[in-house]
Amino acid sequence: MMKKISVSTLALLMLLGCAQKTPDVSGNILDTNKIGSDTISIDESGIVEDGSGINYNSSSDGFVSVYFDFDGYNIASSMESRVRHNARKLQSLGSRQVKLEGNCDEFGTDEYNYALGLKRAKAVKDALADQGVNTSNIVLVSFGESSPVCSDPTDACYAQNRRVDLRLVR
Amino acid sequence: MRRLLLLWTLWFTTNLLAVDATLKIEKNVEQRARIALIDSSSEHHEKFFDILLSDLKISGHFLADGNVYKGSFSDGFIDPKLKNRDYLLKYNLQLGSGVRLYIRLLRGADGTELFKKSYSIPDIAKMPFVAHKAISDMNAYLKYPDISWLNRYVVFARYTGKQASEIVLADYTFNYQKTMIRGGLNLFPKWADSNQRTLYYTSYNGVLPTLYKIDIYTGNKSKIISSEGMLVCSDVSKDYSKLLLTMAPHGHADIYELDLSTGSKKRVTNFHGIDVNGKYVDNEKRMVFISNRLGYANVFSKAIDAPGVSPVVYHGRNNSACDTHESKIVYSSRESASSFGSNTFNLYLTSSRGGDTRPLTTTGSNQFPRFSQDGSVVLYIKQSSHGSAIGYINLASAQSLLFPISINTIQSIDW
Repeated sequence: MMKKISVSTLALLMLLGCAQKTPDVSGNILDTNKIGSDTISIDESGIVEDGSGINYNSSSDGFVSVYFDFDGYNIASSMESRVRHNARKLQSLGSRQVKLEGNCDEFGTDEYNYALGLKRAKAVKDALADQGVNTSNIVLVSFGESSPVCSDPTDACYAQNRRVDLRLVR
Repeated sequence: MRRLLLLWTLWFTTNLLAVDATLKIEKNVEQRARIALIDSSSEHHEKFFDILLSDLKISGHFLADGNVYKGSFSDGFIDPKLKNRDYLLKYNLQLGSGVRLYIRLLRGADGTELFKKSYSIPDIAKMPFVAHKAISDMNAYLKYPDISWLNRYVVFARYTGKQASEIVLADYTFNYQKTMIRGGLNLFPKWADSNQRTLYYTSYNGVLPTLYKIDIYTGNKSKIISSEGMLVCSDVSKDYSKLLLTMAPHGHADIYELDLSTGSKKRVTNFHGIDVNGKYVDNEKRMVFISNRLGYANVFSKAIDAPGVSPVVYHGRNNSACDTHESKIVYSSRESASSFGSNTFNLYLTSSRGGDTRPLTTTGSNQFPRFSQDGSVVLYIKQSSHGSAIGYINLASAQSLLFPISINTIQSIDW
């Protein structure tokens, strides 16, 4: 009897062994498709999460850029947290000179666009003054449309160019 | 390849001109002198021939025959089929170590020689200027109104990258181009003397924008003034002694007049918005300028020494650039509502003394209007679905010309 069981077990194991040599791979093919695309790659060094809904930044030295509506130079309420961040940063720098660079999208003509960029820089300077910042060390300059950070023909891209960048004067 | 380029150029120009031509008040063609070009050069130079034709056309004084005729330079034989032309211009172009050009102007009816001249310059790249000089000399001999603006340099700034630009010299057709100032951000070139030997430009390479004057032959450079925010030399007085500047020492752009002989500076506008682009009118007692004081960019005028401001233009919601010559004003007006993407900008001609406003263009984006030195022609940059072009409109004859250019990033231009 023991001998019969051993033979049957051996035969079953052999059958199972055969099954393992020719697996049903249909499920695996589906899995392969799921992981087939390349994984994402993110550079978070420039990302700012401040509740403004905008998570990009082209300022440097710990400052964050302030963004504007088309043809506008009023500071939107969504940008107030960014202004407060910059005010805190400026107050921590003491007497270091800081440059506010006004920028525009490409939809404007020569002089007018530079003046619009300047009004944006002035609006940020005034907002910083309202936060109690001593603005005597702030220098304004407008780069008009000469300094785009994005050149795709999309509204989202143009919005990134309507900005004021802040950086230390070196 | 060259033939393809020529065909494309012709197609491009014809397409665009066909559209703007709807506005033409054509000068009676019979008032223009019929002229044919007879090439006696050993090799026909197509580009040179095209430049001669362009010069003749934009002059407004000649009805040029576009056919190429070959013939001897020195003899007086006139092909019978050309005898009904008023004039025949025979020319011989030699390109070697330089450019040499000989021209003879003959009367079409009997072959009488009216005028002859020769030209020689060492720099082959400047060949277009030889063509312009020959045509303007011939025009002067015939005592037609002056067209010496053909010989002037156009200077423009173009972006080459982020915060990078070049200042470039060109002939009016853009066949000649030479980069004069490169490196950094140098913008808003403006001629500083009548002979085009010196020009003003703004350097953005330091902490503050700075206006320089540079001699384009020696490179000698002098600092004129600096300003926080922005600084542009918008206009120069007729005697080149005063400048209208856009400056921002108080954080917003206002217009100032700088007296170069005394160094004194006068604030002409005082507005907490945008005032830019000041241009002298009416014997320099007044100026027109662009301001957003009504909530959008528009053209205004005011006396240099009095506070009152009045609008010049009563249509459009974005009139953001203008130029003047004496009482004439040309401005660009945005005529489509799209905030983004391609918009229609058209040019209009009006006067500081009131009167009619006349459209100069009808399609595409037409910007950067600039009068010629004598105010007879308007230069502009046209962008359309066909590409970019530099355009010219002769205001007296309503002749217009477009030269395709591959530059999409012109920042400012002066002539």
